[in-house]
Amino acid sequence: MGEGRVMEQVLKLRNLKVVFPTDYGLIRAVEGVDLDIYHRECVALVGESGSGKSVTSQAVMRLLDSPPALIRVDTLEFAGQDLTQLTEQQMQEIRGKEMAMIFQDAMTSLNPVMTVGKQIDEVYRRHYGDSKQAAREKTVKNLELIGIPEPKERANAFPHQLSGGMRQRVLLAMAFACMPKLIIADEPTTALDVTIQAQVLKTLRGMQRGCGTSLLLVTHDLSVVASTADRVYVMYAGKIVEKAPVKDLFTAPHHPYTVGLMAAVPKLSDEKKKFTQIPGTVPSPIDKPSGCYFHPRCTYATERCRREMPRLTPMGPDREVRCFHPLSVGRNGHD
Amino acid sequence: MTELMTLQNVSVHFPVRGALPFLKKGEIQAVSNVSLSIHRGEIFGIVGESGCGKTTLASTMVGMIKPTAGQVLFEGVDLNSLPRDEFKKTRRRMQMIFQDPFSSLNPRFNVYQIVSEPMFIRGEDDEETMKARVAELLEMVGLSAGDMYRYPSDFSGGQRQRIGIARAISLNPSFLVCDEPVSALDVSIHAQILNLLLELQEKLNLTYVFISHNLADVKKLCDRLAVMYLGKIMESGDSDKIFAQPLHPYTQALMAAVLDINFSEQKETEILPGDTPSPINPPPGCRFWQRCPKAMRGCKAIPPEYVEVEQDHFVACHLVNGFPDQDMPEGYDQPLVRLKTVRGR
Repeated sequence: MGEGRVMEQVLKLRNLKVVFPTDYGLIRAVEGVDLDIYHRECVALVGESGSGKSVTSQAVMRLLDSPPALIRVDTLEFAGQDLTQLTEQQMQEIRGKEMAMIFQDAMTSLNPVMTVGKQIDEVYRRHYGDSKQAAREKTVKNLELIGIPEPKERANAFPHQLSGGMRQRVLLAMAFACMPKLIIADEPTTALDVTIQAQVLKTLRGMQRGCGTSLLLVTHDLSVVASTADRVYVMYAGKIVEKAPVKDLFTAPHHPYTVGLMAAVPKLSDEKKKFTQIPGTVPSPIDKPSGCYFHPRCTYATERCRREMPRLTPMGPDREVRCFHPLSVGRNGHD
Repeated sequence: MTELMTLQNVSVHFPVRGALPFLKKGEIQAVSNVSLSIHRGEIFGIVGESGCGKTTLASTMVGMIKPTAGQVLFEGVDLNSLPRDEFKKTRRRMQMIFQDPFSSLNPRFNVYQIVSEPMFIRGEDDEETMKARVAELLEMVGLSAGDMYRYPSDFSGGQRQRIGIARAISLNPSFLVCDEPVSALDVSIHAQILNLLLELQEKLNLTYVFISHNLADVKKLCDRLAVMYLGKIMESGDSDKIFAQPLHPYTQALMAAVLDINFSEQKETEILPGDTPSPINPPPGCRFWQRCPKAMRGCKAIPPEYVEVEQDHFVACHLVNGFPDQDMPEGYDQPLVRLKTVRGR
């Protein structure tokens, strides 16, 4: 986003490294990730399982336990505040109030023995010191805003009495309760059916625009990204491999991995009985290949790719790519 | 084309009990009155959202669940009327591939034990033959014979799914039911497994039933398909015909809900409101009326018939088939005005 530059920066992350020591060796989950999120922006972090996208998002909220995780970061600034200097108690003030998280599985992130209303009330009571009645009034209003029919009655329901889509909406209501500056949504629609996914994404995007919140959308699903995000970071094996505004990324992807991922997503318009595949598998986080981590699966790999890790290189406005041989518009056909 | 599997008015109901065992609360009509035919050598898709009964239907096809009513014919023989040893013999020719490659493989068995288990149970082969066969199967699914003595935990999700496939084809079946075989896998692995399934189909002359909630996969893979909603088939038939012209409002809504990564074609689509209702004691009329954008007043009470509208294209919808002529209440074909709108934004 061009105008994003003049806007307030909500999150500034520089050189995040997360390592988990295990008996089999070091798992280098995240290796030097930079992330910028501006005011009112929806940023997507895309990657397959094991790419380090969830670890990155948890590190931003300082939710990773250390030990076992070993975390190194040069800068972690949230709304001008240096989060690395805060105590756990100060972090608790920020979590829920200024930045909130939405998890994938609503059934396991809600308390099964507490009504959903009470769980949302808690946010207000904890952060604003509201009375029971005041908190419940806000909760009901919030539930209505998020599109839950009969919010007053539904507030007294237990999580198991609601459908999957409803539960996910309750999580949205909880995250938006204090109008935080940043919401991190970790695979918010992966467990949902297609028709429900469309509903929830629309609500999420609508609420985000309405409340002026920034959103970090962590997902593996490129189609969700295309319909929701403003800017995209693509992660592979713990490193950012491509960064671009959403439109540029989808019209002209530069990194061979991004190109492969897009081709691998089945589309209604595709020809029949043929699936484009990326050969090989994601490397083990303990035993990553030499040079560029993608080279064993890359059709364009050269000797240099096997030896050296490419740097993130600028490729036009707000675009960076980690590749020695970035695909240009002319070359990235379906070959 | 000959029919390999025919379902005639198959229903599967599960009783739901109340607080005391003799207080019957109702029943879940997981599958109700489904008739289908699956032709030899084709890939037949079953699409629907969670809870629509697609897995129950598939389990009924391979005889894992006995239908409450109706018949399951495999090569013209009713599966559930066969004596036990005959049934077991027939059952060998139909196999299943499961969704979750992490829970469908026994973690304490090595690959050889997993893949040879069907042969072991059949009890016709000696150790040497089984070993040779397992090695051959592993090569066939893209693993190597050297993997035989490793355990499932040594493999990635995609590789485990390959082991599951090797096990399924070990007895040379002719009919394979794939229950969401790729939905637990990463995008880049997804295509590898589907290509493997296509390759095996050609090599081994298989007939597949492919269960999925992903319409794009189904469109690319399947020759014919059925769209299910709340235990009933809404639309079925030739895949090309259905995708070219979906007639049922539910099929149309499902297609509209597929997000496209083709950025230039991003469109604002009408989103289907509400959730799937509970399958316990479903409404008497059309099961989709509560969410249907085109519902009429009569849809609420009168169940639509399942009619062949053109060759190999069946639809169950009043909009397409019209209401029966006699005994209709006043204003049955007027649009339904909902007092309380089921909202979804």
